[in-house]
Amino acid sequence: MQANPDGGKHRTKQPTNSMTTGAADAGRSPLPDPPYWQGAAVVGLYRLGFLVLLILAWFWASQSVQRNIIPTPWATAEAAVKLIGEGRLPDALLSSLSVYFSGYLAAAICAIPIGLLMGAMRPVGKTLDVFVFALSATPRVAFIPLIIVLLGLGPQAKIFVVFLGAVMPIIINTYAGVLAADDELIEMARSVGAGKGRIFLRIVLPGALPFVVVGLRIGATIGLINTVVAELYTAVTGLGGLLAVYGNTFRMAEYFVIVLTLALIGVVVTEILRLIETRLGRWRQRS
Amino acid sequence: MSAGGLPRDTAASVAQAVLLEGVSKSFRSGKGSRTEALRDVTLSVPEGKFVTLLGPSGCGKTTLLRIVDGLIAPDIGRVEVYGSAPRPGPDIGLVFQSFRLIPWLTAQANVEFALRSLALSRPDRQAQAHEYLGLVGLTGFAQAYPAELSGGMKQRVALARALACEPRILLMDEPFASIDAQTRELMQVELMRLWARRKSAVLFVTHSVDEAIVLSDQIVLLGPRPGRVVESLDVDLDRPRWAYDTRSDARYVELRRYLSARMRDLVLADPQSEFFQREPTSTETAAPENEPTASGR
Repeated sequence: MQANPDGGKHRTKQPTNSMTTGAADAGRSPLPDPPYWQGAAVVGLYRLGFLVLLILAWFWASQSVQRNIIPTPWATAEAAVKLIGEGRLPDALLSSLSVYFSGYLAAAICAIPIGLLMGAMRPVGKTLDVFVFALSATPRVAFIPLIIVLLGLGPQAKIFVVFLGAVMPIIINTYAGVLAADDELIEMARSVGAGKGRIFLRIVLPGALPFVVVGLRIGATIGLINTVVAELYTAVTGLGGLLAVYGNTFRMAEYFVIVLTLALIGVVVTEILRLIETRLGRWRQRS
Repeated sequence: MSAGGLPRDTAASVAQAVLLEGVSKSFRSGKGSRTEALRDVTLSVPEGKFVTLLGPSGCGKTTLLRIVDGLIAPDIGRVEVYGSAPRPGPDIGLVFQSFRLIPWLTAQANVEFALRSLALSRPDRQAQAHEYLGLVGLTGFAQAYPAELSGGMKQRVALARALACEPRILLMDEPFASIDAQTRELMQVELMRLWARRKSAVLFVTHSVDEAIVLSDQIVLLGPRPGRVVESLDVDLDRPRWAYDTRSDARYVELRRYLSARMRDLVLADPQSEFFQREPTSTETAAPENEPTASGR
């Protein structure tokens, strides 16, 4: 559909509007709507301020805790430059990301159809959901010895650990999304003569989409955790491997670099998914 | 049923848009018990006529419409829409009280959604949706999402969606009940104008006496628990009714007084109603001297 012009219009029109009313006849509308980017800029500023505060706290902690357990921000930055220059950080990052994304992608590809199937065919869903819930409640670390026995210590085992962590929340949320389908809309669709396929494609699926994205977001977080867990418990590689090496040898500046890198991955991935979420839910917010 | 007998001969039943005969329906409610929604309902909607089902809550009006649309089947009884068993689809338009617009589609796309059941090319479908949105006065809102529209506008979109398929019969389930009073009156006029343009049969459900009289050719009064036909009356007010002050017409006033009293009696006599036996029935207070022609058809 021609949905795009509307969204664009809405955004570009707002700032110009408030500018003209503000300059020409300020008396008519005493409080023009602030342009949308102003709010975003303010939030950005607050975030930046909080970041500065965090770094200050970090600096203070590094000075007051003894025996150099906490490195200074400056030492950490230096370590980061060194690690990047030596290629250790990029190598580890690449290795971790490939494990992470392989496992996560496989999880998404498997979980979404399973969740949809469970929701669309009630007997299948009712049969399986207890087992899915049971499996998702079991700490996945418990399976690692078994996975090592079956798949060894290599990348397959790591990818499988990530997969196992990410797959459950995606299945459960997709399933919940299909079950949450609006019965009134389904009845409306039936009344205009829509068949099962059209109802699923145009009513149930779009209705479930926000749930699926929530599942993907939770899955992404757990997947990242499991990436590090897998790297610590199987062959020690990637960011998890560096974490273990630097942690065990008390090279705290390098260790901090790895921790911050992991945090950054988490932020980037979840922000991307949140962006997708708000774009999909655009119709919801305008009123 | 004080209403006159319905035509039973098959020749007459062909000219009927809707024919229900001895329709009963009950639903399971809780453990083992069943609620009787409809009992032995017999009624018909002649082609091109506006028939209203009037009744207090709990008289199975919505169930009746769903049966006529073919969404659910009756337990017993015969249902015919234009001579055959009803099937949900573009031939039968259904408008709901809660609008039921697809929130992630624009007004235009919502209308097009219904049109997909017809064998139309994409440009034709778009053109037809656009035309009907224009007919309900929403040309400028074709690209708006339901969340951006007011209640009245949402119901216009829903109306356009139902009309766009050019159904042979239009079923309306308290379509204006969740719209504010001001808008409701305007929507009633709007509906009458649209209907006058192309007179399909209409089966309209409401619990508002005024709405029933203003709109209908015929009013079928339903009683609650179980839903059943109590009475059927003709409304012989001149059309177009938006052209004069219908509400001050003597026949309107008379009909309104009569129907309001009947409605009240039905509620007061309903053991499940909170008003059960709270007041003396109107037959005790007001003498029903000037009953209108309640002969039905």
